[in-house]
Parts: sequence; C-alpha cells; structure tokens
Amino acid sequence: MAGSEAHGPRAVRVTPEDVRRLCEFLYRRTGMLFDDNKRYYIDRRLVERIGATKSESFQAYFAVLRSDADHEIEQLINAFTVNETYFNREEHQLRCMTSDLLGNVIRGKRPGESIRIWSIPCSTGEEPYSIAIWLMENWRLVDSYNIEIVGSDIDTRALKVAAEGIYGERALMRLSRDVIGRYFQPVADGEHQIDPGLRESIQFTRANLIDPSEMARYRGFDIVFCRNVLIYFDDSSRRIAAENLYDCLGAGGYICLGHSETMSRISPLFRVCRFSDAIVYQRPEADHDGR
Amino acid sequence: MPFVKRDVTAPGSTGRRAGDDLAPHDDGLASHIAALGSPDIEVRWSAARALGGRADAVPALAAALGVEQVARVREAIMTALMRVGDEASVMALLPYLRSQDAADRGASIEALQALPGAILPFMAPLLADGDSDVRLLATELARNMPAENATQLLCRLLEHEQHPNVCAAAIDVLAEVGTRDAVPALQACAERFAGTPFLPFAVSIAIARISDTDR
Repeated sequence: MAGSEAHGPRAVRVTPEDVRRLCEFLYRRTGMLFDDNKRYYIDRRLVERIGATKSESFQAYFAVLRSDADHEIEQLINAFTVNETYFNREEHQLRCMTSDLLGNVIRGKRPGESIRIWSIPCSTGEEPYSIAIWLMENWRLVDSYNIEIVGSDIDTRALKVAAEGIYGERALMRLSRDVIGRYFQPVADGEHQIDPGLRESIQFTRANLIDPSEMARYRGFDIVFCRNVLIYFDDSSRRIAAENLYDCLGAGGYICLGHSETMSRISPLFRVCRFSDAIVYQRPEADHDGR
Repeated sequence: MPFVKRDVTAPGSTGRRAGDDLAPHDDGLASHIAALGSPDIEVRWSAARALGGRADAVPALAAALGVEQVARVREAIMTALMRVGDEASVMALLPYLRSQDAADRGASIEALQALPGAILPFMAPLLADGDSDVRLLATELARNMPAENATQLLCRLLEHEQHPNVCAAAIDVLAEVGTRDAVPALQACAERFAGTPFLPFAVSIAIARISDTDR
C-alpha cells in the first residue's frame, strides 16, 4: 500500500506522512525500525489500532498513543511483534552464551563453583528451560560447575504454567525430535511436559523489574536474559530497570536483550560487547574514577 | 542434572555487595544521606538509589551531584532526582544542561524529558536562554509534552530564533508532536531562513506531517 492511503473499518484516512510520523515515534520510543518496504504491514496494524481505540482520525490516535492512554503503546508494540514465545527463540544468543559468554564467566571461577543465569521476564518458562536444555546439549563443561537457573516474571499465572512445564507442539517447533525425546514426556492431546528433574532444577520467582526493593533480592548473576520487555517501558521506567539490572549482575556479568533493544539507548552503565553470534551488554569489572 | 536450585531470597544465598545493606526498604533518610559522602563507590551508588523518589532528599542529592566524580553514581543521582519529579528536583537537574560534559547533558535531558509536567514552568526561560546550546536542548524537552504545550512553546521560539540549528531542532520536534497551529510559524521561519536551504526543507516535511492534525 506504499504511496497510497489506507482505510480502516471506519474509513479513517492514514497518509504516508502519518505512517512516517508513527514510525519515527516508534523508533525513538522502542528502537523498532520499519522502512518503506514494510508499509503494507504497518498500515494494516495501524488501522487496526485506530479502529480498536475508536479514534476518529490518525491524529486522534497519535494523541492517544503519545499519552499512552490505556497502555496503547503496549498494545501497538504487541501488534507489531511476535508475542508467541517458544523454545530456542533467538537461538543466536544461546549460541553466544556457550561460545563466548561462559568462557569469560568461568575465567574467574574454579570447577564446582556456581554459575548463575537469570531469565527475566520468563513468561511461561520456555526461555529458562531452553537455556537449561541448550547447556546440556551444547556446553561440554556443563557438569563441571553448579549451574543455577532462575526464571522470574511479574505474572504469577505465567509462573504457574512455567512450573508445570507443559507445552504444545508450536512451542517446541525449534527443537529436534531427539531433544524432545530426551527432555520431555508426552502428556495428553499432543502436549509435552518437561522432564521432572529439569523442572525441579529451575527456580521460578515473582519479580518486578522496576521495583528496586523487590529487585534487591536478586544479586550476583553471571548472565541475565532480559528480552523484549524494556521496549514496553517509558523512559523513566527503563532507566530504573537498567539500574536494577546492573545491581543484579556480578561485576563483568552479561545481559542479553531482545533483537530490537539496545542498552546504549537506555543507559550508559553497561559496556557493549560484540561477539560473532550476538551483541550483548556487560557490567564493567570496575568503575573508572574521574570524569 | 548439573543444575542447582537455591532460594534466591535467602540471606547470604547471593553475592551481596557493599551498600546492599542500604537497600530501599531501609527508611533511614539520615543514614542514606550520610552514605552519599562515603569513600566507597558501592555505598554511594546504593545510597543514591535508595533515595530515589524521596522529596526530602533532594537538597542532599543535588549537593552530591555537584561533587560526585563517578559516572554511574552521577547517573543514579539523576535517576533519583527524576523519580522525585518535583520543582526542586527539576531545579537540581537544570544546571547540567549547561555542562561541558556530554554525558551529563544527555543524562539531565533524559531525566527532565521524563518530567514533562514539572518542567513546563521552566520552558519559556530555557527557550529564551542566551546560550544557543541550552535553547537547542530545551526544544528536546518539549518532545514529551502534550501537543498543545509543545506547539505553543516552540512556535514562540520560532518567531524570533536567530540560530538555524535551534530552529532545526524545534522543527524536528514539531514534526512529531506539533499541531497544525504551528504551520504559520513554520512558514514564517522557512521564509526568514530562505537562504539556509535545509530549514525550508525541514519545514516542508513538518508541515506535511502536521497540517491535517486536530487543533
């Protein structure tokens, strides 16, 4: 629909300039970048949101969006992103963990010491279980250390699902039959449940990323997976979350964000680390006094 | 299984650091304020974080920001002031718009941008400041304001602003948040800077975007 005008169910007119205005706002606010070849995709979702908010015009909708009335930014981001979570999503970061991050993490540890990995938000558990399975399958030193994996989320209903560890075929689509056979047991209706030993190895807890007192319980993590959540926060919440995450990491610890997120747009506290499989962020080993 | 499970909430189960004893649940204002002057960076960092949102700590946070040398502690102090968000905290952050340190300018802009209501009374003098760098940064503060406020403030600026870069910054913000009430001021600006081609071009883009907006 590039170069034309999109019309929604209530015949709201959306011009190419409106779409550019929206895209610039989205980029500045979330880091999500859409260019002109995505026009049809953008137009459709924009028109849907204009209809859903009963806005009379793009301008009225844009005002709703800017003021974030009824969490419209979250709604719009949801319309533009894949909300479905599944095992081994963004596999390149898991590869980065075993090919680069863990090598650096164990440099300061003796065999038998703890390696602490945190998945926040962990939603219904696919990510922390993916981390565990990936380590079992791909890291030859997996038995040499005590690996602690914690999955946290603000949504206690999601945590309950995570602890049960029952998933449908779609969630498992990125796993081979062999891996499914090794770590899951079939249950009713084509669903599979994570092996009880693995389920009991991962601790699921409630945590709110922007609550400093709640986050003060979590310290000393070597690697944190914090993917696709900061884009939903406003500027001040993002800043508070970044400081909280900094405190939760040990010195030299790493944080992995979602593919559209960059910590450098959020906070100067972290160092950018470019590895062959992913860009991650590191809490520096030491502060540099002076300015 | 190589995995171990521990109670992350149990005392001593995780790597607590200096300053964690000053976690936000400790309500002792005096001890946190005293800790802002500690020689230990972790203690100062934790104190700044613990004082976030506390209006009664603003004078101490402002004073600490004046002497703190460690970048991340400065960042935490600015976040703490941002979380207060009142007039006094805005006044503590505003001087850093003039800082020679780009990190300070950036951090203060971000903190102030998060407080569109609190900075509104300060906007007119900022946009009339004698320093064009301050005026330029102030245009960015309008970006998170309601469209009517941003339009009114930036149009008033465009009516008399002589510095093309300040005008360009204001036009960029108007292109995102302005209403069609800004069109006459934008057109006048384009005419005034006809010899500076990038400005009429920027104006044409802004007008195309906002001319259909509701007033």
